Parts: sequence; structure tokens; C-alpha cells
Amino acid sequence: MHPNAHKKMPPGRWPNHSKISRVMKLTAVFLFFACLQVSARVNGQRISLNVNTVPLSKVFKSMQQQTGYDFLYSSETLQQAGNVSLNLKNASLKEALQACLKGKDLSYKIQGNTVIIVKKKTRQPIATVAQATRYTLDETVEKPVVSVTGTVVDSTGAPLASVFVKMKGTQKSTITKDDGTFEFKDIDPAKATLIFSYVGFQTQEIALAGRTQLHVTLHMKTEVLDEMVINTGYQQINKESFTGTALTVSGADLKTVNPQNLLKSLSTFDPSFRLMDNTLQGSNPNAMPNITVRGATALPANTTDAISRNTLTGTSNMPTFILDGYEVDVQKVYDLDINNIKSVTLLKDAAATAVYGSRAANGVVVIVTNPPKEGKLQASYNFENYLTTPDLSVYHVLNASQKLDYEKTAGLYDAAINKGYTQDQLNELYYHKYNLILSGVNTDWISQPVRNSYGQKHSIYLEGGSTAFRYGLAMRYQTQPGVMKGSGRDRLSTDLNLSYNLNNAFLFKNTLSVTRMNSKESPYGNFEDYVNMNPYYPKTDADGNIIQVIDTWVSHASNGTNTVNPVLNPLYNSTLASFNKSNYTQIVDMLAADWHIINSLRLRGTMSISQTTTDNNAFTSPFANAYYYYTSSQANQRGQYNYNNQNETVLDGNLTLNYNKRIGKHFLNAILGSNIRSEKSDYKGFVATGFTNDKFSNIGFANSYASGSTPDGDRTETRLVGAFTSVNYSYDDRYLLDFTYRQDGSSNFGSNNRIAPFNALGIGWNMHKEAFMQHSPFSRLKIRASTGLTGSVSFSPYMSQTMYNYYMSNWYATGAGAIVTNFGNNNLEWQKTRNYDLGMEIGFMGDRLLIMPRYYQKLTKGLITDVTLPPSTGFDSYKANIGDMRNTGWELNIQYAVIRNKDFNLNLTANMVHNTNTIVKISDALKAYNTKVDDAQSDPSNLGAPLLHYKEGQSLNTIYGVRSLGIDPENGKEIFVKQNGNLTYDWSASDIVPIGNSTPKVEGYFGSNIRYKQFNVSFTFYTKFGGQSYNQTVVDRIENADPRYNVDSRALSQRWQKPGDHALYKNIADLSTTQVSSRFIEKDNVLELSSFYLSYDAKKSLTTKLGMSNLRFALTANDLFRVSSIRTERGINYPYAHSFTLAMTANF
Amino acid sequence: MKTIIKYTICLIAVASMASCKKWLDITPQSQVSLDDLYKTPEGFEEALNGVYIRCAQSDIYGDELSCGFLDVMAQDYTTSALNDALGYTQTQRFNYQDANFMKHRDSAWGGLYNAIVNTNLILSNIDAKKNIFKGNEYSLIKGEALALRGFLHFDLFRMFGSSLNSPQPTTGIPYVTKYTNTVTAMNTPAEVMFNILADLNGAKDLLKTSDPILSNTYVIAYPNSDSSTEASNDSLFLQNRRYRLNYFAVCGELARVYLYQNDKTNALANAKEVIDSKKFPWTAQADFLNTDAKTKDPILYKELLFSWYCPWETKHLHDRFLNNTSGLYLSQADAQYLYETNGVGGEDFRYKQWLTINSSGNMELQKYARNAAYLGTDNDQSYNLYPQAIPSLRLSEMYYIAAEASYDANPTSAIDYLNKVRNARGIGASVTANTKSDFTNELLKDARKELLGEGQIFYMYKRLYHNIVGQNGAVTVASDKIFTLPLPVNEIQFGNR
Repeated sequence: MHPNAHKKMPPGRWPNHSKISRVMKLTAVFLFFACLQVSARVNGQRISLNVNTVPLSKVFKSMQQQTGYDFLYSSETLQQAGNVSLNLKNASLKEALQACLKGKDLSYKIQGNTVIIVKKKTRQPIATVAQATRYTLDETVEKPVVSVTGTVVDSTGAPLASVFVKMKGTQKSTITKDDGTFEFKDIDPAKATLIFSYVGFQTQEIALAGRTQLHVTLHMKTEVLDEMVINTGYQQINKESFTGTALTVSGADLKTVNPQNLLKSLSTFDPSFRLMDNTLQGSNPNAMPNITVRGATALPANTTDAISRNTLTGTSNMPTFILDGYEVDVQKVYDLDINNIKSVTLLKDAAATAVYGSRAANGVVVIVTNPPKEGKLQASYNFENYLTTPDLSVYHVLNASQKLDYEKTAGLYDAAINKGYTQDQLNELYYHKYNLILSGVNTDWISQPVRNSYGQKHSIYLEGGSTAFRYGLAMRYQTQPGVMKGSGRDRLSTDLNLSYNLNNAFLFKNTLSVTRMNSKESPYGNFEDYVNMNPYYPKTDADGNIIQVIDTWVSHASNGTNTVNPVLNPLYNSTLASFNKSNYTQIVDMLAADWHIINSLRLRGTMSISQTTTDNNAFTSPFANAYYYYTSSQANQRGQYNYNNQNETVLDGNLTLNYNKRIGKHFLNAILGSNIRSEKSDYKGFVATGFTNDKFSNIGFANSYASGSTPDGDRTETRLVGAFTSVNYSYDDRYLLDFTYRQDGSSNFGSNNRIAPFNALGIGWNMHKEAFMQHSPFSRLKIRASTGLTGSVSFSPYMSQTMYNYYMSNWYATGAGAIVTNFGNNNLEWQKTRNYDLGMEIGFMGDRLLIMPRYYQKLTKGLITDVTLPPSTGFDSYKANIGDMRNTGWELNIQYAVIRNKDFNLNLTANMVHNTNTIVKISDALKAYNTKVDDAQSDPSNLGAPLLHYKEGQSLNTIYGVRSLGIDPENGKEIFVKQNGNLTYDWSASDIVPIGNSTPKVEGYFGSNIRYKQFNVSFTFYTKFGGQSYNQTVVDRIENADPRYNVDSRALSQRWQKPGDHALYKNIADLSTTQVSSRFIEKDNVLELSSFYLSYDAKKSLTTKLGMSNLRFALTANDLFRVSSIRTERGINYPYAHSFTLAMTANF
Repeated sequence: MKTIIKYTICLIAVASMASCKKWLDITPQSQVSLDDLYKTPEGFEEALNGVYIRCAQSDIYGDELSCGFLDVMAQDYTTSALNDALGYTQTQRFNYQDANFMKHRDSAWGGLYNAIVNTNLILSNIDAKKNIFKGNEYSLIKGEALALRGFLHFDLFRMFGSSLNSPQPTTGIPYVTKYTNTVTAMNTPAEVMFNILADLNGAKDLLKTSDPILSNTYVIAYPNSDSSTEASNDSLFLQNRRYRLNYFAVCGELARVYLYQNDKTNALANAKEVIDSKKFPWTAQADFLNTDAKTKDPILYKELLFSWYCPWETKHLHDRFLNNTSGLYLSQADAQYLYETNGVGGEDFRYKQWLTINSSGNMELQKYARNAAYLGTDNDQSYNLYPQAIPSLRLSEMYYIAAEASYDANPTSAIDYLNKVRNARGIGASVTANTKSDFTNELLKDARKELLGEGQIFYMYKRLYHNIVGQNGAVTVASDKIFTLPLPVNEIQFGNR
């Protein structure tokens, strides 16, 4: 076997195999060794040989096996050179080569990992990897006119020697000298096209178009090859022959876009991988993102409570993450070191994901980390420095005197409105505040809990070893403080990779990775509390101390009693010993064994075990504001300690048999496999209360368990087993077929439906490979279509069984008791999603312009929802497969390499998507939920916030409320439209109808990448338009704003004040609550600069002096600016932030 | 050939991993599946305990059906629209469209049927497993499960069915005896009563041979006191019979049910069986009038035939009554009217021991009061004479039933039964009643005093189809509209009622 024969050439690209050496024949196997990318620096391998009159090719083959070097030569040349006899013991590669070429008309050259054998004293090389040449000295018809000269360099500007330069359509060729220069004689510059090819680099064609002087930059092939191969996690499939929808992004590219957040970065490459906007948590580094791929396929599991958009959690729509072959959760991915990632592949349609069966409906993200390279010890060091600054530009609050003005206008000091107060009492209140303002108080509350935060990351990677044994060690230390003071997330991780290659027949690999994460929440509490604070209150007393009670005011009840009310300082909490921290330690070990049975057949087994221990500790000081109102009898309940611990163990095993073969024009890449997975989780927790002192924050000082609470515990276990087969077939690289079948068994399914089948079929046609397309303007024209059935299990284990729960804390007088919890539905099934996907790839000008449109439809059947039962059955509901949902959408991806030359490259990219979600069918329980929600809409806690409804024919993104005609200029009241079209001033829940849809018409990213000499600049803009949004800020902070707290500045300037005002917002003195209406639906068009990147690569001359092979400085700025058609507060509990990353990478 | 062998090995390896259907059956740790629970006698014990615990939760007997909306409808408390912390103001006015009422009503209906489903699961599994039980346990568990099913349905019927003394007693309830997700049809009142009696009499037969309470060595007393043997059985499951539906509790319940359908002979027979057993002694005055909170017995513990055990509700129940105007209270005038303090009730122990004036000048019921100093701590039980219990059947009610059931045949004996209760409570004066209506009024008045905060009075008015006498004598005229509670909306909509 040839461990280095894994050059990831698409097999279809090989023009003629008959003359290529055996070394090159094994390309079919490359797919499986992609993860073992090699670049040796020094020939540490020794060679022993004892042969008598054997052909050189045999000798080279043996040397190649012993050293791992590729040998390039023409068999014709070798035949001419005759046989050799050798006796070598422990010779170096150079010695061995010299010995076997002694006396021959041949010389050698070592390029990277390749030995090139060339004829002596000849200008023409014998062969290159990209082009096997056949020397038939047929004379060219054209008369040679001029000679063309030029230089070939790599992307860093370093000259490349021995690059093969060939004139297209002829056999004429030359190679570059050591300084990268070449000269081509007897050529017609007006017509000729030169082809530049070199091992490990992309082949380039350049039409001379009259030029006699050329500067050519060749790009490393590895980067490109990653994109040429789709890694489905089980199979590596040539992109050319794949009919599924998949996107591969290299780790380096992801890092360019957003070095701090891998998931965010991935979404800029494909907006159908969508991170839901978390307007509550903003840029909190501890908030896990919520992700959907091509729309939601499940309904929220909870239908008992009314759901507002902010609390809508769609974790059931998360894609499946596969890291180096085993499934991980989103937190693991969120905490990965981006420097360690080789590539990320996003699989979207059934043809790509069906191999994951019951886990596939929401897409699959396959992450591959960097494998170690062989050779002497290599080190790379990466340093990143982060700066994060809060983005408070969306907050427009009133200053001290404006606020008091607003209070007065709102009638807070008018005895006619405030019944129970005398005008004198109110005047007193007013002048008290007025005095505060006169004394110069104008506190900028919102800037108090935030800061500019600085974080850093150090990553070191060490790798090396021989062909047989390789090692890689990665270490990372990263701090990520958040913009709220005191919040942050720190990670520490180390990964050890060991691989052992036994005679190329067996390969063993073990990866041990340990991650430690520590996170803290800010002791300053919710950001909202600061937004609400009145600016006329000082934050400290006269001596500069932060005090708990800033001010007091007296309220007068109608029966004459007066109560003194305190104004509590939110900053006070931050001075206490309260904390809220969590940490986890994760240990993952993965063992993989590969057996090369025969050339085209491989058996691979992997086993991984992962153990995660999470601890959460939250202590609230007994002096905290929350306990201010506790009476003296509750003194022993002040202070609280919340502790919980979770232990998760995941076992994941795979066994796969791969078959890869090209027979004539047929190419087959097939897999047969099975996998097994078990997840166990053990949760324990309790809440203790009663702390006497701020200093004693240890849980041991607690007085008792919190009133009415007992220790809490939960253990769950799920198991999955599956067997699958997947076939990727192509004929002549033109006609393509993918087929997948999988059977999954899951412990989550009902006992009557334990085993579920899934399948997918894809067909494709590479039209550009057809003869009739040779002279078309298309350099690429691929059409493909696929369909398939995938599933998702988005319900908790045991739901399909009738279960009893124990009353853990409440024993009866005669012992423990158990009670039935649910009606077990033995017929419960997985949710089935039928996928249809149509796609095209259209390329012009040698694929410099690529346009890739796609259309898809996902129809999810058997959504798991509650079926309502009459309560006389003893249950309110049970789970059943009722409900259908449809997601249709299109995606468009455009790439254009505008300029491509030695010093200057300019690329433009744009991608955009649109997804329409439709609820096709729902259960009675969900219909009943709508009624319940209509009632709940009138509940004080939900006032003004539109609640989620489910209606057939509508979308999950539909916004519901009462239609409004705006504010009546006469009286400042809102005019509503009833169901029957009549107008009214009275809001009624029965008039709730769909009033908007938050689905944008188009959503996507566009940007550019510009390279000029050592500099590289790239930027990406995000935009969405055509959707609508409900402006909650206007409702909460302008109309429903409690005038006792600070409000949005529009509350003073844009509310109705007198008859004739054409105002957007109702009467300023109207303190009645504003209800959900279409008045607050606004266009939600956004443009934001999501990423800006600038890098500088040090010149070769400098790096060599420093003993480095590579040195790069890079600056990335994320979320730099944002414009939106809707003015709304974002980041309610935690503000959004701009972030900057300064990175230095050095390779030694 | 070699290749073929290799292929075969691989295929076997792949196939063996995929054939693990059994491996997919998971038994969770913090929960247990139905099949696993009913493998052992302990599982049946736990399931039975579970029903009692379920019933003692605050949505049903832990709160609402004992001292909640039923008592409010019986006009037991003073409510104020100004401070409606518990949301009973509209309920007291029989506004059945009120959201708070509907919430309480819905959870009572759902909670009772949820408890019934649990008894049905026991009953539908126990016969197949009869051979796993030792001694009398099979009869005991099955008897109690039957008794619970009858008991729970009877309360549902008393709330949602017609009064049998109504001019048109047509409304029944579904009598559910199966574990299923299909709807059980409505039964007529006669069918419901028949089923209740069948279950209760079946239970009585089973318990007659198996209940340890029937043993002479089973002596009722305060826990930890010398004479008590209630907790002396080796098996915890066989102790504390009065917290479960024991033989006498079933007799008591039968007396209630027979009286409800005007079968006075059987009502009297069952009530007398309890009285004549002399198992349940009247509470000693010294215990009732004790001034030391630690050893005082305001709930009249030894007289309880059956009560719900709920120490976890201690603080909740305590606060429910002793929480000033945010809790349940009686104005002084209302309390004095109720206990006739200007008449025969001048020396009534119940008024003196149960009602105390709070800071806002209202009277608070002390029946469920706990030793305040230790509320909410783990020591709670040890600072009271007995654990927190919510009375469900008490000796005095047996006397009331006996009195009512014997009046037609023997008025003297009836008055005698009533006097026994009054005497035990410090009312020396004998009952003066010349007509049956007078007698019923006197009986009702004493029952209201005795059963305040125990959820029985509304049923009594309904059974008698008697005008409800409110505070200060305000009268609500008896009608089906008031007595027959409307079904929950979900039940009507999804059960096609």
C-alpha cells in the first residue's frame, strides 16, 4: 500500500492511465486517507535494498514504500535506462537515489514529498503528476515566432522551481529553473495557451494573448482539494460525482470570517444554516446558539404554556454535529478551537444526510480536525487578542431633565389623574426630583454594567513522526470575557493524536481530547435593570459609596395609609459576593482502526467514549436587592445557593466497509456500515437558603433547603443503533447516481415501531463533460436532483411507554408512592421528513464565475404533538404523530474571481436564501392552544407581546395581533379593525388575526476577498429584507412604559399630545396598556458588516531569518456596524457587542 | 477465496451490530415502567400509596376539596372583593363563569380522574398477579383500590351530578373503570350510585377479612403515646390505617352514600357499625383545651375515621388560614353568627379553640394551625401532637348520619345522637326541635360548626336540596343551577359531552 498515494485528485480527472506508473494508480484509495495529509520536511527514513538486475521502476516502488515519498517518472524513460543491481543498507534517500541512478542518463529532484526523475541534459521533464506525456516527436505545423519568458511563484511570492509548463494542444513543454523563471521558445504568443502544473499545486491555464512576459501564481492544491471532496462523515465523495447538497469550508476560511465563533462563521458561508437571533441574550458568550437548517421541522414540545417569541426554544430543530466521526452536542462545537479544524461540511438534503437516518432531518454538520503530519517535529503557534466593545447604539433613553419632563407630561404629578394624592404631595415629589437634577445628577446608567473586554487565545500545535508512527499535540488556552462586567467564558483544552501505520495494511489512530470550560455570569444582573433606571438618581452617595437604597418615595393608599417605597440600586448587587458560575470537564477518547483488505476495500471501526461533568454554582447574597422586602420572620430565608451537577457519558461506535473502484468508465464508491450509540445523563441538584453573611458563600453555611424544595435528580438514557448502505456511482463522470438506505432503531420510538427505514436517491448529469458542450461558454454545467426520507426524534425518552414517577420527597404515612405520569402511546413514531432538492452548478470562464442555484422542499409528516384528551380519562393529553409542516425555499450562490494574477486577486461572493415555512396540519391540542393563547394575550404578563399561534396554512413565523389603523388624531386613541371589518377603540382577543410574517424575502451574505502582494483583505456583509418584525421596544418602552422608569426617547417626542397630532404613538397621558396590534409591525430590513479581515504575511526572506516557515498577522472585526429599518432595542438582558481579533500565526 | 472469507467476516460484524432490538428497551432510573412496577407486591403498595399522595395534593383534597372552593360555596368564609388573594370572591357568589372558579373546578375534575386512573391501573393488574401476594395483602390492596374508586367517583358525583333530591335528578358523570385513552360515556345518576355502592361494598367485603384495624390490639391514640399501636406493625405499609381507606372508613363512606340516595336503613346500619365498634374515642377535653401549642389537639385527631396524610402541606395549610386578610378568615360578626355565641354556643369549645382574633380584627381558623415557631423546618412534625392530616371522615359525622337516618322512625334517638356531639363540644343544652325541618336546621347548624374547613357542608346542602344559609343569615335558594357544577370546557369539547 502507498500511504502517500492519497493525493486527493478526483479520479475522473485522470486522462490516461495506461502510461502512468503504478504509484499513481491508487488514487481511488485517497479518499480514505484524506485525513492523513502529509508534508515531510526531511528524509529521516533509511533505505535498505538488495536487488540484482531489476527494473528501476521496481526499485523506486520499494523505495517509495520504505520512505513514503512519491516517485514521478515516465515508464518509457525508465525502460530506456535498463535494469540495476544494488546493495544498500540503511542508506539515506539521497544516497540510495545516487546509487541507483549512477551511470544512467537520469537525474533526480526532490520536491516536498516527491522525487522527480528526469533525463539528464534535457530541457524537458519526463513527466509530471498532472500530465502523463507521450513523446511522439510530431512536428508542429505552426512556424515558431518568438520566445516567451516568465516567472512562477507560490501564493506567498516565493519562486517555484521545476514547474511543468506545457503549450496547450501540443507536446511542447519546459520546466522552471530554481529562481522560478522559464523560457518558452518557438511559440506564437497570439494564439498559444500555456498550462502550468506542479505537484501539490493547482494547474493553471493562461492564454498568452500576445504577451511575451508572464507572472504566474500557483496556489496550493490542498485548499482546493478540500472543496473537491465531500466528507459525509462516513464517506469521502468526489464533489464532481456527488448529487447531494453539501458545502465544505476549510478551517482557515472559517477563521478568516470569525475567529471567535465557528458557528457564526459557518452561517456566512451558507445562510440556510441560520443562527436564531437571540435578542434577550445578545452577545453573551455563555448563551448557546439556536440553529435551524432550511427551516424548522418540529413544533415546540411544550403546548401547555403560552409561548412568546422570546421564549421560543427550538432546540428540537438543531442539526446533528459530527466531529471526527462521532456525534457531539452544540456546546462541544461552540467550545472547539477553530485553529484545530481542518474543514467543516454542511450536509443539507436527503442525498447527503440520509446516511444519518433518524438524526438527519435538520441537516448534518461534519467537522474534521487537523491530523498530524509526518516529518521532524513541527511547531505552530497562534496568538489571538480579542477586543469586544458593547454596542449600545440601539438604546436611546431620556436624560435626567427630559425624563422629568416626560413624567410631568404623562401626568404623574397631576392630582386629577393620581387619585389619592393631594396636589401638594405630588408637588413635593416633583420638586424632590427637580432638586436632584439641579444638583447636577444625570447618571448614565446603561454604561455602568458594561465594559470593553480583552481576551486572548494561545494555541500551540506540535506534530511529527515517521510514516509508521505519527503524533500531534494541540494545546489551547482561551479567555473570552463578555461586555457585561464580570461575565466570561474561559476554555482550556488539549488534544493528543497518535497514529500507527502497520505496513499500510492496518492503521490505528487514537485521539484523546480534554476540554475544561469555566464560565461566569455577570454579577450586575440584567442589563434591562440599568436601561430602566431613572437618570436623575445618583449611583452613589455623597462619599462615593454604592448604596442599596438611592431614594425613597411615599405612596398613599385610598384608606389613608402611607407606605415608604425604596428605589433600589441595581449596582448594589455587584458589590456583593454573589456569583453564578458553571464549568465542565470533558474527556473524549476516540480509537479508530482501519484495515486495508485489498486495494479497493477497506474496513474501518471507530469507538469513542466521552465523559462530561458539568457543575453549576449560583450564590445570591443575603443582602441582595431580591431579599430587601423579606420580612424579619423570613430572615432565615435570605440568600440562596443553587447547585446542580450533570454527568453525561456517551458511547459511539461505527463499523464501516468501504468499496472504491473504477472499472473502465464506471466508478463506484460504496459503503456498508452500522453504528451504535448510547447516551446517559445523570442530573442532581438542590437549592439551599438561609445565609447570614455575605462572606460565607460556601454552601455549607446554608440554613436549610429552600422552602418547599427537595433535592432534584434525573437520569435519562437513550440508545440508537443503525445499519446503512450508501452508494455513489458515476459513469464516465457524466452520469451520476447516489443511493442511501438506512435502518435505525431508537429507544425513543414506541415499542411497536422500534425500527425505522430511511432512504435517499440522487441523480446528476455533468453536462459540461459531454462532447457537445466542448465549445459552449460553460466551463461547468451540472444538474442534479435528489429526494429522500429522513427523520428526527425530538421527544424525550420514555414518552412512548406508560411510566410511573415516584413522589420523591412526599412519602405517605405508609411508605413511598408512585403515580402514573403519562398515557404511553406504543405507536409513537419518528417524524418523517420527505426532502426534494434540485440544483445546478453553472460555471463560466474556467469556473471563474460560478453560479449555483438550488431549490428544495421539505415536507415533515407526523409531527409529534399533544392530542388533547377529555380529563375524565385521567390525562390531559398524550403524544401522537399528528401534524405536517412544509418548508420550501431556494438558495443561490455566486462566486466570481474578477482579477487573478501574481500580485492582485479579487474575488466576489454572494449567497442568498429564502425559506417559506407552512404549517400544513396540526392536532386539536394545538388548535386549543390557540384559544388558550388568545386568552393569555390579555394576561398582564403578556401584554403587548405577540404570542405564538399555530394555524393551518400559516407559518411558524407568522405574527398574530389585532389589525390597527393607527392613532386617531382627534383623541390619541388607537383604532382597531374587528374580524367583521368594523372599527372600534376597544381591543379584543377575538379579533386576533395574522398581521405579519417575519420571514425575509431574501436573506444572505455578500462580500469580497482581495489579495495584494502580502496583504489580504476580505469582508462580508449580511443583509435581509422583505420580512417584518414586531417592534417590541415601541410597545414596552414607549407605550406600555411605566413612567416611573426610564423610557425610550421617542416616548417624549413622538406620542400624541393634543388633538390634530398625527402621531405614531398614543396619547402620552394615556396610561392604559397597549395591546398587540399591527401598528407595531415594521419592515425588517437589515444590512450589517458581519466580518472584516485584514492580514499580512511576512516575506519569505524575513521568516527564514527568524527560523520560521510562515508568519502571519491578521485582524478581524465582527459585527462592526448595523443599519436596520426598524428601531428597536436588542440585547435586553445582555447587550450586543462589536468584536475585534488580532491574531499572529507562526509555523516553525 | 481469502477475499471472500474477509468479506464474510465484515458482513457478520456489521449485521450483528444491527440486530439489537432488545437493547433498545430502556428502563429509566428515576422512573419505572408500568410492567416493572407491577412485578412485585411492593410495586402494588407503592402504586396504592401513590393514589393517596396524589389525592393529598393541593388541587384536590390537599386544599380545594377540603378547605377550598367547596367551603367557599358553603359560605364558610368572609371574602372581600378588595383583597381577593385566593380568588374566591366570585365563587362565593356562584359565578361559575369566573376564571378562578373554572381553574379550581377544572383541576378538581382532572385531579380526581387522574387519581381514578391510578386505581384502575392497580385493579386491572392485580388479579393477574394474585399469586405474588402473601397473607391478606391482596385483599387489602384490592379492597382499598375499589374503595378509593368509589370514594373518588362519589365526590365527583356530589359536585358535578344532580342532587338526588332535585326535582330533575338527571345529570350523572362518567364512571371510569378502565385505563384507556378513549372516552367513557356519561352514566345516569342511578348507574353512578349503583357503581359506587358496588365498589364500596366490594371493598368492605375484602377489608373485613384483611384490615389490621379490625384487630382488638389495634388501639387508636396519639403517635408515640403509650396506648397507641397504630404504628406497631412490622410492615410500614400495614401501619397507620386511619390515613388510608380502612374498614371503618369504608363503612363511614357507605353511610354517606346510602344517606345520599335516601336509603336510611343502610345508612344507619353502617354509621352504627362505626359508632358501636367503639374504636374511635371522643377527644378528651384536656387535649382540646390544652394551652400548650405543642400538645394541643385542635383537629380532634382520635375521632378521625379517615384523613389525608400530608406533612408536606403543613406550612401551606397553616398560611392559608393564618394569613390575615390574604388568607381564609371570618369576620367576627360572621363567626359569632355561625357559632350562635349569643345563644347555645356561648360555651362551645369549637368557637373558643378554633377561632382567634388576628391583628386586623378578623377571626382565623386554628384547625390546621401548627406550632408556628417551627414552621417550615424539618422538625415540624415533632413539635405537634400528630402529623399534618386533613380530615375526610370523622366520628361526629357518623352521629349526624345516624341522627338523620333515624329521625323518621325514632326522633328521640335522633336528637340523642345529635346531643352526643354537642355535649362533646361543650354545649350542654339539649336540642329543641319539634318538626323535622327544625331538626334538620339544628343538625345543619351543628355540622357547619363541626365541619368548618373540611369540605362537606356544600354536599350536605346539596343532598338535602336545602337553601344555603350564608353569613348573617343571607339565603341562597336551592337550585340545580347552583348545586350541579358545569363540566370543564375540555371535557365537553373533547369528550363530546
